[in-house]
Amino acid sequence: MRAAIAGEQPLEIVGHGSKRAIGHPMATNAVIDVSALNAVTSYEPHELIITVQAGAPLADVQSLIDARNQQFAFEPMDTSVLLGTPAIGTIGGMIGAGLAGPRRIKAGGVRDHLLGAHAVSGFGDGFKSGGKVVKNVTGYDLCKLLTGSWGTLAVMTEVTLKVMPKPEAERTLVLRALDDVTANKAMTAALCSPFDVSGAAHLPGSALRETAGSLASLAASGQSVTLVRIEGIAASAANRAASLSTTLSSYGTVEILEDGASLMVWTALGEVRPFAADGALGTWPVWRIVCPPATGGALGQALARETGGEIFYDWGGGLIWAALPPRPDAQAALLRSRVEAAGGHAMLLRATEEVRRNVNVFQPQPAGLAALGERVRNSFDPKTILNRGRMTRSKAA
Amino acid sequence: MSIMMPAADQAVLNRRGEIVAALRAIVPGEGVIDSAAEMLAYESDGLTAYRQRPMVVVLPDTTEQVARVLKYCHEHGIKVVPRGSGTSLSGGALPLEDGVLLGLGKFKRIREIDFDNRVVVTEPGVTNLAISEAVAHAGFYYAPDPSSQIACSIGGNVAENSGGVHCLKYGMTTNNVLGCEIVLMSGEILRIGGKSAENSGYDLMGIITGSEGLLGVITEITVRILQKPATARALMVGFAQVEAAGECVARIIGAGIIPGGMEMMDKPAIHAAEAFVHAGYPLDVEALLIIELDGPSVEVDELIRRVEAIAQGCGSVTLQISNSEAERNLFWAGRKAAFPAVGRISPDYLCMDGTIPRGALPQALARIREFSEKYQLGVANVFHAGDGNLHPLILYDANKPGEIERAEAFGADILRCCVELGGVLTGEHGVGIEKRDLMPEMFSEIDLNQQQRLKCAFDAQGLLNPGKVFPTLHRCAELGRVHVHGGKLAFPDIPRF
Repeated sequence: MRAAIAGEQPLEIVGHGSKRAIGHPMATNAVIDVSALNAVTSYEPHELIITVQAGAPLADVQSLIDARNQQFAFEPMDTSVLLGTPAIGTIGGMIGAGLAGPRRIKAGGVRDHLLGAHAVSGFGDGFKSGGKVVKNVTGYDLCKLLTGSWGTLAVMTEVTLKVMPKPEAERTLVLRALDDVTANKAMTAALCSPFDVSGAAHLPGSALRETAGSLASLAASGQSVTLVRIEGIAASAANRAASLSTTLSSYGTVEILEDGASLMVWTALGEVRPFAADGALGTWPVWRIVCPPATGGALGQALARETGGEIFYDWGGGLIWAALPPRPDAQAALLRSRVEAAGGHAMLLRATEEVRRNVNVFQPQPAGLAALGERVRNSFDPKTILNRGRMTRSKAA
Repeated sequence: MSIMMPAADQAVLNRRGEIVAALRAIVPGEGVIDSAAEMLAYESDGLTAYRQRPMVVVLPDTTEQVARVLKYCHEHGIKVVPRGSGTSLSGGALPLEDGVLLGLGKFKRIREIDFDNRVVVTEPGVTNLAISEAVAHAGFYYAPDPSSQIACSIGGNVAENSGGVHCLKYGMTTNNVLGCEIVLMSGEILRIGGKSAENSGYDLMGIITGSEGLLGVITEITVRILQKPATARALMVGFAQVEAAGECVARIIGAGIIPGGMEMMDKPAIHAAEAFVHAGYPLDVEALLIIELDGPSVEVDELIRRVEAIAQGCGSVTLQISNSEAERNLFWAGRKAAFPAVGRISPDYLCMDGTIPRGALPQALARIREFSEKYQLGVANVFHAGDGNLHPLILYDANKPGEIERAEAFGADILRCCVELGGVLTGEHGVGIEKRDLMPEMFSEIDLNQQQRLKCAFDAQGLLNPGKVFPTLHRCAELGRVHVHGGKLAFPDIPRF
């Protein structure tokens, strides 16, 4: 790092390279490869923490904690299906991307599970933040900033993450043939119930049509499906699933998927399987839209109609995945105007390099906020050595 | 006062009359307080050992007024200390002699309750409990529940990243806040986040939460609300050794059970609490665990059975299970009254707030006993056992010469011990002035410089709440330089990693 700073040499931080196709094409011609920093420093199941080096393979770490019946409760997104990459990446990439799965509505995001980090800033200084305990308010919580910063602030070297027990049992309630707005209402009713919902998704029939695997059987009828997940100890999951079925009975007949079948469905959703790189929509650009959950149905329906795209919903309507027919501008202006009006923001998660050069991949922010963000970035990396240009489109282009 | 605060700026003090007049022009009427008698109420917060009269108190009631006050102070180089309800236990709202005390007490309105999106938009002066009360009719509540929730403001909760008994399962403030309106020291008003699950760009909400009033003044907050669990039941379990209680906590977590709350008290704390509230606590045990399970009744009943078996397996000597809300509340009564109960047996006490890994509990308690003998002062321990957050209450008498100094040295030893055992200086009370000078026990100069550079991104002149959190203040220009020469950083002898 210090040599790069002295030579003003910008660096791209690379682990397994699974997410290199996300963000703006970078103004870098050298890499800092952290994949050799791959050790598990310590795993203490009874403390509910694991400390690992940033280059540790996510898949290996997940198997390790799975063997002790624990998990990352935020369900880290496996981007390999959507992007068509062989590897699912490293722990460092998981944190830098900050992409959480369906259980985010109950368990929080990546940010809520990163307890401490060691990193090297653009000053060439190794610093630490946080610690190895959950309850900690000592100093600024720099871990929050590192999460989702796409490697533009510091190179993480070692991190401590919270792990949680895996649920004993899960149930998924399935409602069929609801339109997007009605499905949004059903999901809102489920999320406003005391039954501790840990997933709420809606897939219009057209988004399911071309999907293979575990979602295909759901798609067989050609109708939309609305899915609500309940997890916990066996007796409780069954009991709550039954109670929630009654609550949702005004929306139609509720079918229930159990354990293995339920798990497969949510895994496929978390991977954004309907827009898989090797599927029928594999060449379409994909937007990730986050909005106030109760506005999702109306927003998504309008977007699908106006763009000619396919969409589906997670987080009870608060996360919309949208695959749009290919255009040089990925229909960014139209999409963002609708999303902003709903109080949300949108990121272009998958697009060709050409499109990512021409379109703001990350949501443009109001001037004051953008300036503060830039000052924050400067406080870590004043010479813009790290992942230069990844989060902000260069003016020259 | 035994702690050094930034030297007062005589030039600012000389202009006091002019400054008061300028603030009156921004906040009319009773919103500016400059009489010594009326300012008395603002001299201290929950850390009453430290007092300082502010230069002037301002109580704005609009964001626009906050912005104009900050802009004026920014332009004239005047320090500002923000304050919510003044319940900080770490001196976060301690005034400065040459500073404006900016009270947010008039921001008392809940602006919007949105059940469909499961959020409440509120002004910062609303109390923590008032948010839960405002949504209780629909079965919702706001999860973080610091013990001062009847009085503490939600703005202060955000500043301190407050916790509470239930944060093991439901998280701290940072896990339950979605957005805010914040005024920077320059007077610039920014909106961060909102009703969506996450924000775009860097996670500024995450860095503002727990920043102890050093980055900006919050004028509106959007919090997440949750449905109240259908039922809650508690177990009260006594152990003959602290080690057995610690093992019980580890086995419960190891079995995949995350209780709504899991609290431990040691013998002195049990005795003090029982004498005060008569909750029926066993008096011949060394450690008492209160374990609360919440959720649907079918789940709670099953988990109670599992926890009971684990506790017996760990050699519990007493075990009671609540069969009614009255009984559950009685179990908690002693724990919740532990601080005032200790206040009855000792003229004064210091409340510490370190966190340790759960497994290090027996070691930590043994060390605390050694310190107690070394300093010849009593100690009672209450402990958020589920998340390793320790609250030793050091007993002393301020009227006996030398006792407060011994109590402070005792406290510092405990916090150093927490860091040595792999823990941290503060779990939920904040650094403030209380733990400021202990920060180097946990962070290197490089770590602290990075934090201070971030402060500079928000407040380049260092005017907002100076003297808190950081043991030494640096000028932003000096922190921002990259010292590189010929491929080598300056001062290569400084350890850097």
